[in-house]
Amino acid sequence: MLMSFETLVFYMFAVITVFASLRVITARNPVHAALFLVLAFCTAAGVWMLLEAEFLAITLVLVYVGAVMVLFLFVVMMLDINLEQLREGFWRWFPFGALLAIIMVFQMIWVLGNRQTAETGAQVIKHAANYSNTKELGRLIYTDYVYAFELAAVLLLVAIVAAIALTLRRRKDARSQEPDKQILVKKADRLRIVSVVVENKENKSQ
Amino acid sequence: MEKIANFFKSFLLVELLKGMALTGRHFFARKITVQFPEEKTPQGYRFRGLHALRRYANGEERCIGCKLCEAVCPAMAIHIETEERSDNTRRTTRYDIDLVKCIFCGLCEEACPVDAIVETRILEYHGENRSDLYYTKPMLLAVGAKYEEQIAKDKASDAKYR
Amino acid sequence: MTELMQYLQNLLGVAWLPVWTLVKILVIVVPIMLTVAYLTLAERKVIGYMQVRIGPNRVGYFGLLQPLADGLKLLMKEIIVPSGSNRFLFVSAPILALMPALAAWAVVPFDDGMVLADVNAGLLYILAMTSLGVYGIIIAGWASNSKYAFLGSLRSAAQIVSYEIPMGFGLVCVLMVSQSMNLGDIVLGQSGSAGLLGWYFIPLFPIFVVYFISGVAETNRAPFDMAEGESEIVAGFHVEYSGMAFALFFLAEYANMILIAILTAIMFLGGWLPPFDIAPFNLLPGIFWLLAKTSFMLFLFLWFRATFPRYRYDQLMRLGWKVFIPLTLVWLVIVGAWMQTPYWLW
Repeated sequence: MLMSFETLVFYMFAVITVFASLRVITARNPVHAALFLVLAFCTAAGVWMLLEAEFLAITLVLVYVGAVMVLFLFVVMMLDINLEQLREGFWRWFPFGALLAIIMVFQMIWVLGNRQTAETGAQVIKHAANYSNTKELGRLIYTDYVYAFELAAVLLLVAIVAAIALTLRRRKDARSQEPDKQILVKKADRLRIVSVVVENKENKSQ
Repeated sequence: MEKIANFFKSFLLVELLKGMALTGRHFFARKITVQFPEEKTPQGYRFRGLHALRRYANGEERCIGCKLCEAVCPAMAIHIETEERSDNTRRTTRYDIDLVKCIFCGLCEEACPVDAIVETRILEYHGENRSDLYYTKPMLLAVGAKYEEQIAKDKASDAKYR
Repeated sequence: MTELMQYLQNLLGVAWLPVWTLVKILVIVVPIMLTVAYLTLAERKVIGYMQVRIGPNRVGYFGLLQPLADGLKLLMKEIIVPSGSNRFLFVSAPILALMPALAAWAVVPFDDGMVLADVNAGLLYILAMTSLGVYGIIIAGWASNSKYAFLGSLRSAAQIVSYEIPMGFGLVCVLMVSQSMNLGDIVLGQSGSAGLLGWYFIPLFPIFVVYFISGVAETNRAPFDMAEGESEIVAGFHVEYSGMAFALFFLAEYANMILIAILTAIMFLGGWLPPFDIAPFNLLPGIFWLLAKTSFMLFLFLWFRATFPRYRYDQLMRLGWKVFIPLTLVWLVIVGAWMQTPYWLW
């Protein structure tokens, strides 16, 4: 059976995604692991693109690859990691990790193997060229799912406020500059020109 | 009131635009670049460039081997060896200037009692390795022979200030 | 012409589509590379003129062969890979820097319908591609195994991530006004009898300014070139690079500059539309107007570099987070409200 071009592209993306995800957990160097995660995100975006979810695919690249992973890399690169020390507790925590993995596998099977989800997911609905996934998504978010959306927004806002509140501390001893005040300084504010009376006339003539 | 004025001043980027106007004006200004090999900046007659050893008009070399230049040289770039010639005068057998060390201060020229070592106006000499810039006596004499006319003229213009 | 195309189409069969797309890609990429080369010359000339010098004029008439000479020189040089570096990442970093800078051009329309990929999410695609450029820099800094390169890449990454936000908000404003994410439709939304008055830079003037300045910061150009910071961290992220690997970073930086300039022209200055829709102006082809506007924006890049001293890093972050982001957010609300009133004319 000849595969269609689209299927071929899907399998290519899928293989790269699986390979990259495996390398994320097996790579020794944490920076390499983070970069493999970037690769996994990119290929996942490609798979989403095949599903005509271009808005979500590009947002995945924009938010996760363009911002989140950059910050991840930032932190990982600056850490001074001792790999030996990291591997010490491997076998002690292995049963716990394996249990979690097994639970997750069963959950996936439960969701994906479910007849209901499988039936709707099997057929991808093809749309005309002028169909805009973004517009549809926007319409749904602001009509049918507006409460969920607003709730998520409030949640994020709370998270932002909390993060700032946790990290912001005004240090009294810090002598940070305030550039907006600095640039307003004028000569007249700081410099006073006084005319000094010269007492000794001979010195003056010199 | 002043605060409001400052607010508008910073948000309308007034100062940045002023700066750009300045560079924008210079964009059209007359350029002052000197196109070196074709055009040259004027040189004074006291210009201190490549060294030369001079001779008298009768062909006798001026240098009497007094080693004052060697003594005064702050960079220790001059190396002189002397011996007595058959006519019982003291002459140099070696007169080397290491141009890599030389700082072109002109003190050797000042120290010389017979105007033998001089600095010419030549500045476009070059060497492909360090040894090319180690000038020996014949090389210095050759420079002197080649540019004697110019050197004499420069010395004459400077004479009244000495 | 059409007969020739028909003939080739029959000749190549299934291979026609990839071949024809490849030809179109080359038609876009080759002029970009030439523009990049001559932009370096233009930069040296413009900055020279503003400093009352005359810039390069020895290689060829008016220095016109200078970029070729520079390119040849870099091509002949050895690529030195530092001993403590990660070889694979070190070599792939310049490619990662250049690739998104070129990939973004796929959705840029040069005239009505003259675009490689007429996708509906063009604006988002551009935003995603410009945000990927940071990887080349960050990987270059890390793989070099040098503290200067690493510092430069950290600075650059933080800067690019910060300035992406005001740029993104700026694009949201454009998106709101034009009601489309297709760059071609955005330009067409600015057309009308009013000519220049119909362009989006008038209602979105603060956004236009913020977008362009953020663009300058995003491309790590002076006065926001702390990532290079010659006087502090020697050359930043590409300090260990030589030869063609360095040249690729150079190409990426200038290709990004041209991209930002052409995007500003498309989104705010009416793209290929003439400034007045009357006889002498609308006779010229659209691409001429687009390139004229792009050249003007590029000239501004060079003008900035000749005028302003480098920002300090904390001031840069302050400008991005405390001035630009609030400003764009405020204008987003203003435009949103304005569009609901009858006074909205665009």
